[in-house]
Amino acid sequence: MVKRFFLGSYFFIAALPLVWLLLTSVKTRTDVIDPSFRVLPTQTVEASPPSFNPTTAGYRDLNEPISGSVHGFLHFLWNSIVIGLLSTIASVALGTSCAYGFSRFDIPGARDWLFFTLSTRFLPPLAVVVPLLVMYRTFDLPNTHIGLILLYTGFNLSLAVWLMKGFIDEIPKAYEEAALVDGYSRWQAFTRIILPQARTGMAVTAVFCLISAWNEFGFAMTLNNARAITVPVYFAGLQGDIQGIPWPRITAGVLVFVAPIVVFTVLVRNHILRGVTFGTVKQ
Amino acid sequence: MTAYGEGAIIRAARNDVLGRDGKYGWPQSDCWNSTLIPHENDHLKYAFVGPALLLLIALNIFPLFYSLFLSFTNAELSGGAATFVGTANYSTVFSTPRFATAMRTTATFVCLAVAIEVSLGYALALCFRAPFRGKSVMLAVLLVPMMLSPAVVGLYWNVILNGNYGILNQILGALGAGQPQWLTDPDLKLYSLLLIDVWMWTPFAMLISLAGLNAIPGHLYEAAQIDRASRWTVFRRITLPLSFPLVALAALFRTTDALKLFDQVMAVTGPNDEATQTLSALLYQVIFRNYKMGQGSAYAMVVLVIVIALSTIFVRHIQTFQTRHGRAA
Repeated sequence: MVKRFFLGSYFFIAALPLVWLLLTSVKTRTDVIDPSFRVLPTQTVEASPPSFNPTTAGYRDLNEPISGSVHGFLHFLWNSIVIGLLSTIASVALGTSCAYGFSRFDIPGARDWLFFTLSTRFLPPLAVVVPLLVMYRTFDLPNTHIGLILLYTGFNLSLAVWLMKGFIDEIPKAYEEAALVDGYSRWQAFTRIILPQARTGMAVTAVFCLISAWNEFGFAMTLNNARAITVPVYFAGLQGDIQGIPWPRITAGVLVFVAPIVVFTVLVRNHILRGVTFGTVKQ
Repeated sequence: MTAYGEGAIIRAARNDVLGRDGKYGWPQSDCWNSTLIPHENDHLKYAFVGPALLLLIALNIFPLFYSLFLSFTNAELSGGAATFVGTANYSTVFSTPRFATAMRTTATFVCLAVAIEVSLGYALALCFRAPFRGKSVMLAVLLVPMMLSPAVVGLYWNVILNGNYGILNQILGALGAGQPQWLTDPDLKLYSLLLIDVWMWTPFAMLISLAGLNAIPGHLYEAAQIDRASRWTVFRRITLPLSFPLVALAALFRTTDALKLFDQVMAVTGPNDEATQTLSALLYQVIFRNYKMGQGSAYAMVVLVIVIALSTIFVRHIQTFQTRHGRAA
């Protein structure tokens, strides 16, 4: 009974901001910043508190450029998609082959390498951004998609290697053994036996790499100020807007932006725990 | 397919012995490939692991050394020639109060965030143990905040916490309570950030705790029942100690993450607010607002020493965790 009550009240409190996010996205800006309590959507003309007239304007105007910006939301969303997808593909590819190597061969110092890989995840982006910026300037990479793709690939490799190693370790070695005896080369055994078997693992890894690349802010903001701005940086930049922050559009944008992540996460729901703990915990 | 290399069989046999010895690879490694297929050359394995490790080295090790070098210069973000200034940057770091303040702010935030998230998450996990209707839907809803971009979440919470039109103060007003200025009161700002963090990450601690609780074998509880142990004894002697390793893991994950706190600070108060300037925000301020790249690098090196020390503890824990629970924890 106590448990039910505790759980229920936490759920209620935690769900409120999400409900409010939804409501804010269907309000007008005036209603959002109205200090009187407006929570109930209603169709009546001239709604008075606690009601408001819902509108889809936040979604319709989402792509309108805001305060002098040349581009609208879709431009930044496209940047996020290109960077997110390509870095995810690269992380999964490199991570899978690396995990396979660690899983099936004697690599001298394997333990140390694996823990080095994991520890790269703990570095705060702001603590390594200066040398990266200098490096990127040398190779002419800041403000480019490829710059962020490389960075996110490296950043997500720790996750990809650890997750994939767990999944590949679970594939019986007898499969490859048979294939190798039958005259497959190691590469053929990897591509034709292991990769199909590791499909689930690769999907899970891809989802979690995508989430972190999709939502990343520190590097995206500091290495870019022109051509490859992603959605989180775009929204965060609206903070000091002199015309007032366009809340309905931002909240609508937040919901549009998180939608694909929610869909992908639901697809790999049985492996969420594994994903968020780098495969150190298995469900 | 490569030809038989000279001495390959001997090498394979040696590897096999060393492997069984547990000297190379993982403790359970049986190094089957070395004995079965002696014709594989050594280069192949490096082709598998090489590209990933090279990228990691390029993006992590090289910058560390370069940062170390820069920290002894007066390099500016705008470019131009940098001169060697000795340890001047480091004396600035340790003599100005802003670094100590940022350390304190970060430490306060990390301790409170981890303590609240882990204990609340654990309590929730205890409630989530038994199956009930709507459990999976409830879990799914609770996990949504984790999928949102922290920077955007921080911005959105302005709508909730705003002193004038924020929903929280509207509710407090309806209840007849005061109107705290969550985002502008210097005493409250850090706690507003904490609130956002708790909202986002408590479900994460809950998820890991739940895995820990579910892994406790049922027969222990049956034994306790036969012994007529009280519920408190059962919790203290069975539930808590057996789920502890995973709870500790959750705490460590949250610690390393909370240490990096930056996105929400930027969105809620900006990087140069004394009440909320975390280490990352301080680094941003020095490097990108004051353009002091050399000095920023000195700050970064000190932060890195702290982070590396802490992550070593983390890695040790995972190491013992994995050995104790086998690799499939």
